[in-house]
Amino acid sequence: MSTRFIRYIEGESVIHRLDPRSKLTFVFFMVLCLTLAYKLLLVIPLFAISVIYYAMAKLPWNKTKNTWKFILIIVLVLSLLNYFTVALVYGQGSLLEKLTSPRAIASAITPVLKLLSLALVTATLVFTTPPNLYAPALGQMGFPYKAAYVIQLALRYVPEFTAELGRTLEAQMARGFRPRGGKNPLARLLAIVPLVVPVTISASLSIYDIADAMELRGFGEERCHTWYRELRLSRGDKLLLAVSYSLGLLYVALFLSKLA
Amino acid sequence: MSKKGVFSTSSLVAMAVGTALYAAFNVFFNILQLPGTQLVSLRPSVAIPMFFGYVFGPVVGFVSGFLGNIISDAISWGGFWWNWDVGNGLLGLIPGLAYYFIPRDSIFKRRGYIACAVLAVVAAVVGMGFAAYTDYIFGYGISTIEEATYALFLPAAITDAVNGAILTPILVAAYAAAVKGRARRL
Repeated sequence: MSTRFIRYIEGESVIHRLDPRSKLTFVFFMVLCLTLAYKLLLVIPLFAISVIYYAMAKLPWNKTKNTWKFILIIVLVLSLLNYFTVALVYGQGSLLEKLTSPRAIASAITPVLKLLSLALVTATLVFTTPPNLYAPALGQMGFPYKAAYVIQLALRYVPEFTAELGRTLEAQMARGFRPRGGKNPLARLLAIVPLVVPVTISASLSIYDIADAMELRGFGEERCHTWYRELRLSRGDKLLLAVSYSLGLLYVALFLSKLA
Repeated sequence: MSKKGVFSTSSLVAMAVGTALYAAFNVFFNILQLPGTQLVSLRPSVAIPMFFGYVFGPVVGFVSGFLGNIISDAISWGGFWWNWDVGNGLLGLIPGLAYYFIPRDSIFKRRGYIACAVLAVVAAVVGMGFAAYTDYIFGYGISTIEEATYALFLPAAITDAVNGAILTPILVAAYAAAVKGRARRL
C-alpha cells in the first residue's frame, strides 16, 4: 500500500538493483562530504558524481516532473537571492563590478550546487528503493530492530491515516462543515481544528491497542530479530561502498588539512 | 503489559503513529488544499510532533517530527534534506521536555496547557533556527546570514510558533477529554 505513496519508480537500472544498504551508506557519505566541502572546487566533483548517479538510475521524465519542478523553483529562487545579497550587500566597487565579480558568482553558485547535489542523491535513493526494504536494510546494517520496526510501522500507517483524513473531511462536510475562515489567519487556522482533532485523537488512542496486539504476538520478547528479506551485497554494491568510503576519507582529510 | 520506558512497545508504536500522522497531514495538506486555508496556515501539522512530544515524551516527539518530515518529503517531492528533518524533530523534542519538569498528574491542567503553548513557541524558534542556520553554516542553498534569517528562519519560525501554540493545547485538551476514565492511557 505504501508503495503507492512513497515515490518509488520501478525500473531495471543498475541503481535499482543495488542493495539499499549500500545506497544508504552512499547517501550518508555524500551528505558528510557536502558538509565538509568548503569551496566551489570541492563541490563540483560531488555535484558531478550525484548527476552521474541520478542519470544511471534512468528515471523516466514524466514521473519525475514534479520533483524537478520543485527543485528548479527552489534553485532559481535561492540562486537569485544568493547572488543579489552577496553582490549588493557585501560587494565593493561600482554596481557592475559588484554583480560580475568572480567572488560573488562563486559564492552564489556553491551553496546552490550543494543543495542540488543533496536533492539528487536523496531523490535517487527514494525513487529507486522499494519502501518495504528500508526497515530490513536498516535492521541488517546493525540498527536495533526496534528502530527499524518504527520505520516499517510508520510506512504502514501513512496511507491509512491519509485515507482516514479524507473520510473525516467528507463526514464533517456532510454535517455542514465548510472550511472557510476568510482573511483572518487565526480564523483560518481554527477552521481546520474540526478536521485535525478527531483524526489525531483517534489515532493516538489506538496506540495502546496496537502495542498490546504486538506484545500478544511476542514483540520485544527476543533480543534479536530476523528479517524475511535477506539482503546480499553484489559486486556493484561493493564498488559503491568503496567509492563512498574513499570519498568520505578524502573529504575528511581535505577538511582536516585546511583546519591545520 | 508494557514496561514504561523509552523503548517500550507502546513508545515504539507512539513513534510510528506520530510519524505516520505527521507525514499523512503534510501530504494531505499538500494534495488537498482546503478552500480558504491555503498559504497562511502553512503547516498546521507542526502541532502533531509537538503534541506527541508533550504527551508521550521527548524521544517520541523527536522521532515523529524527524521521520515524519523525511517521509512526507519523500512522498511530496522525492528527496529530503537532513537538517530540516532534525529541525522538525526538535519541534517535537522540546515540548517533550515538559516530561521532566511538570508532574505527570498536572499535564492536563491549566498549568500544563500554558507550559505546552510556551514550549511550542520555544520549539518553533529553536527547531526552525537550527534548520535555517545549519543551511547557512554548511552552505546548503544559501550563503549569507541575512538570507538565513529573513528568507528561512523568520517565516518558518513565526508560522510554526503560531500554529503550534494554538493547535497543540487544543489537541492536548481533546486528548485529555478522550482518555478521561480510561486506565493507564496517559
